[in-house]
Amino acid sequence: MAKKDNPLKPDKKAEHFRAPVTGIFRRSPFEGLLDHASKVRECIKCLSPAVEYFCDGKYDKMDDMVKKISELEREADQIKGNLRAHLPRFIFLPVKRGDFLMLLREEDAILDYAEDVANLMTMRHTQVPKEIKKELLEHTKKVVETAEAFENAVVNIKDLLETSFGKSEREQTKRMIHRVHRKEWEADQVEARLSRKLFNSKELEPISVIHLLKIVDRMDQIANHAENAGDWLRAMLAR
Amino acid sequence: MDPFTWLLLAIALTIAFYMAWNIGANDVANSMGTSVGSGALTLKNAIIVAAIFEFLGAVLLGAHVTDTVRKGIVDPLAFTGNEFNFVYGMMAALLAAAIWITVATFYGYPISTSQSIVGGVAGFGFAAIALGQVSSSTVHLEVLGKIVASWIISPLVGALLAYIMFMVVKKLILDKADPVRATKKVVPFLVFFVFLVIIAAVLIKAPKGSIIYGITPEMSIGTALIIALMAFIIGYLYLFKFKPKRARSDMEKYGHVEYIFVYLQIITACAVAFAHGSNDVANSIGPVAAIYSTLISGAIETQTVVPLGLLVLGGVGIVIGLSTWGYKVIKTIGEKIAEITPTRGFSAEFGAALTILACSFMKLPVSTSQVLVGAVIGVGFARGLSAIDFKVVRNIIITWVITIPVAALTAIGIYLGIMYFV
Repeated sequence: MAKKDNPLKPDKKAEHFRAPVTGIFRRSPFEGLLDHASKVRECIKCLSPAVEYFCDGKYDKMDDMVKKISELEREADQIKGNLRAHLPRFIFLPVKRGDFLMLLREEDAILDYAEDVANLMTMRHTQVPKEIKKELLEHTKKVVETAEAFENAVVNIKDLLETSFGKSEREQTKRMIHRVHRKEWEADQVEARLSRKLFNSKELEPISVIHLLKIVDRMDQIANHAENAGDWLRAMLAR
Repeated sequence: MDPFTWLLLAIALTIAFYMAWNIGANDVANSMGTSVGSGALTLKNAIIVAAIFEFLGAVLLGAHVTDTVRKGIVDPLAFTGNEFNFVYGMMAALLAAAIWITVATFYGYPISTSQSIVGGVAGFGFAAIALGQVSSSTVHLEVLGKIVASWIISPLVGALLAYIMFMVVKKLILDKADPVRATKKVVPFLVFFVFLVIIAAVLIKAPKGSIIYGITPEMSIGTALIIALMAFIIGYLYLFKFKPKRARSDMEKYGHVEYIFVYLQIITACAVAFAHGSNDVANSIGPVAAIYSTLISGAIETQTVVPLGLLVLGGVGIVIGLSTWGYKVIKTIGEKIAEITPTRGFSAEFGAALTILACSFMKLPVSTSQVLVGAVIGVGFARGLSAIDFKVVRNIIITWVITIPVAALTAIGIYLGIMYFV
């Protein structure tokens, strides 16, 4: 990730030159940010299937999904570490360095909670009644949509950079972030319904209720952090 | 002329040619790097453009800055009666500059040829004063001060101009929802503006003895207007017929914009090469011009114009340096700064070219590389680049402080050495 050259560079001769222009440019950290965001997308895609397998009792398939989620989270962590390590104080970005790092932090949280949910599901083979399953899948779908809406917004960074944060692109990105907010609200609605059903369930054991509530809670956090990330992206747009 | 004089002249011309070669091998690459990095020019085209325009800049405009180096810093008239000391001194300056440029090139320090030659000449002047050969007013401190000030101010001006130009591009094109249409409308005007400003300035401020000297300001502006108008019409017609494929994504739209800006960047690349030639040729030719006129005429001359042949020598040296080594450097630089796009490259090159040209008009030897760095930073401040490393700025500031003393001391050493042995 660092700008420093491969010391085994073959053409040693041409290294002897006076060219301050080359020193000015640094590898763009936004590439890494977009890499990280794509990991988020891939990871989120695994959530719905994983939850479905959990509800249907297909625990083997669920374990496969969980493993995939863990792996993606680990790869993303590596990218994150690289980015953080290579943002020295004398680098000048078109956005505030702090905003960039906070965005990264919230994206990281999305992945952390996704992994949390995945691990939680493996801890107990809780039987999920049909009507809970419906709401659970609906909630997962809304949360995934929230994260995807955020990812669409963050991918727009490429256009933002190209137009040097031009007005038209900024407006476009703001609209996308607004969508993230809406989706998060919708996810909240489903979560409220689902929680109410869980609290008032006649057929579930208390421990099952606790397990499912924890899963729902962590799932909701994914949407929350996607929304937060969207807000930091919004902050980066400020002139 | 006796053989000894011939020998001195031959040595001086050789070192001068070497300096020109080094300029062609390094500094030109800095000017062309942004065009190759953005893809506006292939390596081959960059070499062709650089060769033509560096040469033109050196020959048509180079006399201004050469005057400063050969008689502006150290007063030649103070050496009347002591002509050979003047010659030795200028040779010491030239040699000192050549040594330091070679060292800097080897280690990759961003020292400029302008800085080292100015330091060398000043060093010789101070040495002569210290030895009691001339009065203390021989070294024009106010000129030296102006030059150093220009080293500090020129990158800032370059940054400002590049910033303004990029903001113009941003507000008029990148901000719009239909950037391709905006580009087609705005670019002909940009072309017109660039042609007008540069050609008018060059014609008005041509130095005495230059082929293009003697044109009245009215005719200069008139000529520039006509050429700029032709460029405007050509640009407009070409863009009118430009019907790109329907852009399916935003990135494709901006891709079209960048494609159109390639042509603008080619224009500014020529301008930068021209400006660079006009400013840097003096770093190789300045001292030799003084030596040449003194040895040939046997007396100190201050009123003559810079001989065209010497400017041609410098220009040729630069072109040869460029074609034998410089292209490798251009290639390397182009690869390292491949993130730059034509819109940014155009803005930075515009800012740099105008600034360097203005300095040439004002007879100030500046570091073209540092001006270009300033221009790029200017674009960065307009949020045009994803990441800028400010460490380079610190290195540049260091060069402002240490180059004159270092080059001067070397020149002093060489001069004292010559005095001792001759």
